Amino acid sequence: MNINSVLFVGVGGDGIITASNVVAYACMLSGFDVKKSEIHGMSQRGGSVSASVRFGDKVYSPTDKMGSVQFMLSTEKVEMLRWVKYLSRDSIVVVNDRIVPIIGQAIDEGSIDRMIERVRVKKLIKRKFIDDANKLGNSRLVNTIILGLLSHFMDVEEKYFVEAIDEVLPEKLRTINQFAFSYGIKLSKEYA
Amino acid sequence: MGLKVIKKIINGNQAISIGAYKGNARFGSGYPGTPSSEILEHFKNYPNVIAQWASNEKAGFETALGASIAGTRSFATMKHVGLNVAADPLMTASYTGVNAGFVVVTADDPGMHSSQNEQDNRRYAKFAKLPLIEPSDPFEAMAFMQYAFVVSEKFDTPVILRSTTRISHSLGVVQFDPRTLDNEQNLKLQKDFRKYVMIPANAISRHKVVLDRLEKLKLFSNETPINKVEKGKTNFGIITSSMAYNYIKELLPNVHMFKVGFSYPMPIEKIREFVDKLDEVIVVEELEPFMEEELKIAGINVEGKKHFPYDGEFNLDIVEEGLKKAGLIKEKTTKVIFNELELPKRPPALCPGCPHRPIFDILHSLGKDIFITGDIGCYTLGCLPPLSAMHTTVCMGASISMGIGASKVQNKQKIVAVIGDSTFFHTGIQPIIDAYISNANITVIILDNRITAMTGGQPDPGSGFTLKGEDVKPIRIYDLVKSIGIERVYEIDQYDYESTKKLLKEEINKPGLSVIIPTRPCVLEPKKIKEGPLIVVSDKCTGCKRCLRIACPAIDFKDNKAIIDEVLCTGCEVCMHVCPIGGAIVKKEGK
Repeated sequence: MNINSVLFVGVGGDGIITASNVVAYACMLSGFDVKKSEIHGMSQRGGSVSASVRFGDKVYSPTDKMGSVQFMLSTEKVEMLRWVKYLSRDSIVVVNDRIVPIIGQAIDEGSIDRMIERVRVKKLIKRKFIDDANKLGNSRLVNTIILGLLSHFMDVEEKYFVEAIDEVLPEKLRTINQFAFSYGIKLSKEYA
Repeated sequence: MGLKVIKKIINGNQAISIGAYKGNARFGSGYPGTPSSEILEHFKNYPNVIAQWASNEKAGFETALGASIAGTRSFATMKHVGLNVAADPLMTASYTGVNAGFVVVTADDPGMHSSQNEQDNRRYAKFAKLPLIEPSDPFEAMAFMQYAFVVSEKFDTPVILRSTTRISHSLGVVQFDPRTLDNEQNLKLQKDFRKYVMIPANAISRHKVVLDRLEKLKLFSNETPINKVEKGKTNFGIITSSMAYNYIKELLPNVHMFKVGFSYPMPIEKIREFVDKLDEVIVVEELEPFMEEELKIAGINVEGKKHFPYDGEFNLDIVEEGLKKAGLIKEKTTKVIFNELELPKRPPALCPGCPHRPIFDILHSLGKDIFITGDIGCYTLGCLPPLSAMHTTVCMGASISMGIGASKVQNKQKIVAVIGDSTFFHTGIQPIIDAYISNANITVIILDNRITAMTGGQPDPGSGFTLKGEDVKPIRIYDLVKSIGIERVYEIDQYDYESTKKLLKEEINKPGLSVIIPTRPCVLEPKKIKEGPLIVVSDKCTGCKRCLRIACPAIDFKDNKAIIDEVLCTGCEVCMHVCPIGGAIVKKEGK
């Protein structure tokens, strides 16, 4: 069974549910069967969060198998490392170069970066997407920029993402997010 | 009208509400609880339906049962532990049966993503002798919910529909005709003394009706198409249900499978036939060996929990491990290349600006001679370090009653009970009456943020609006508690840190019962509250870390100084009040 998977990880409040909904919709529009899992409730209060989008001809499980995800989108570096067991050598990982502090814990960013360097996958893109988002004038656009970049590597046409953004996001946010998405696609040239 | 098919990607809870509407349900009630809350929130949007939150699951269940007897198809929703609260009407509604179709939806939480236990509510179906239906994905959640109303009326019984976190909160592609397919039923309110008044004389004869119904349901379970064989190519077979079905389909796409959708009573004869043709049959089910036990009692040769865990949520890796242990697969299909790393855990925390924070900081700082009985809500997070200010959490409403007990048998520790507003309305009112009547020596803190916050901001009786968004006069907890006769009742603004601390200290040390009601609203619901942020004056900060002890996600510590994230900070000023250095934390200028 040929199933593709995008694993979204980050910190509660990062907008992972919305970002994964966009991908799930785009995959459906593109003709795939789709399953998606997400966790609500207690874990949303600033804890570790994850969501999976799995797509293919026919998908049963909404959650991933270790060592099997093709794509990972992480909004934070420690969280990316927390989920490495789900990656394979063929994975493509996009991680926002950012650390969200953990109450009562000192995090050594240098050692986190070194741990990330040791994760040898097909492609690992670590970037301060907040700088890109600020360039577009809105720090909340980080996820959509990452989605644009990620979409370049996925077997789903751009037009379906465009349609999915319109479907998932409220009307007042659509134009700016479409803009951020195409900005993300353009970024992919830097990582070809 | 022509067929109008909608194709959407929806989660299990939305699917359940669509199924309810298509199944002609026009009344829904319940109490919010992860992972069940979105069912009613979605159902309320349909035309001509009544959807309302009840103050607890028992009340929600009974409201829906009343609607059923009055002639309208109805349902009640709750999380697994909510059915414990509604167990009283559940057990006897089995005897009364229904008039219009009546379904109780229980959303279990294997893995305890957001719960205090992981009880398997399939046990309730057997306990109450009620039919149990279990979908395995959003499409089935919709279709089975609709079907549940048909079963309910056909057999004159409440039906239990069981979801789990992974079904309620997973999305799948669902195609459906949005119209109601069943013929509109106009049932009349039913007055039937022998059926609905469960005095012993009537209940004795109704119990026989229940037993007779169970026999009929056993036959039906063998006939219903939601219990089905999926033919494969193996000489062994798998019996499975609910989410586990998906893991098996993915790991063993060619297996002989018996998929159970109607899981109580079990389709014994149909399964006996299935098992007889195979060399070996394994039952794969999450949590309890519910199906396995039923099959073994019937003398059918199967195994299950010998190979699979009793606890925790299943996933592809756990199920694959079990199949390997059972000898049904030789090797795992994927290798783990990157091993789990040692990383600091990221537990959930109270939000920046959360009005619960100053209360727990004060309770923590008042020292070791206080025993704090807690309750269920966001504020349960007050138990985690560094706040570490909660010593018990058992179930909804237990804070006050456990506090009464603890206060009666010893006097070395002062007792403080902490409970939220929604939990107070749920099951805290009776215990506070007990506290008054028994003259308990406790301080009760009712954290009144006027919303059910943890489950996503559902209104409670103190919110001033309903599930449908209609305005309603809120119940003021102060007036309610005063009316009992309790004398020392205080409403306070807990952002006024010093006065709050002074009052708490005084009341905790005074004998007798007092009730303190901090009244700051939730910072997230119903609307986000954000005022100008605070900043740390770096020259003045001594790096004492006192502000870190309030566990605010907006405060970090770098280069021996505290720093405040201006995006996260809501300007509540609690850090400023606890800071021992005057002027080290200040409001950002111009804000």
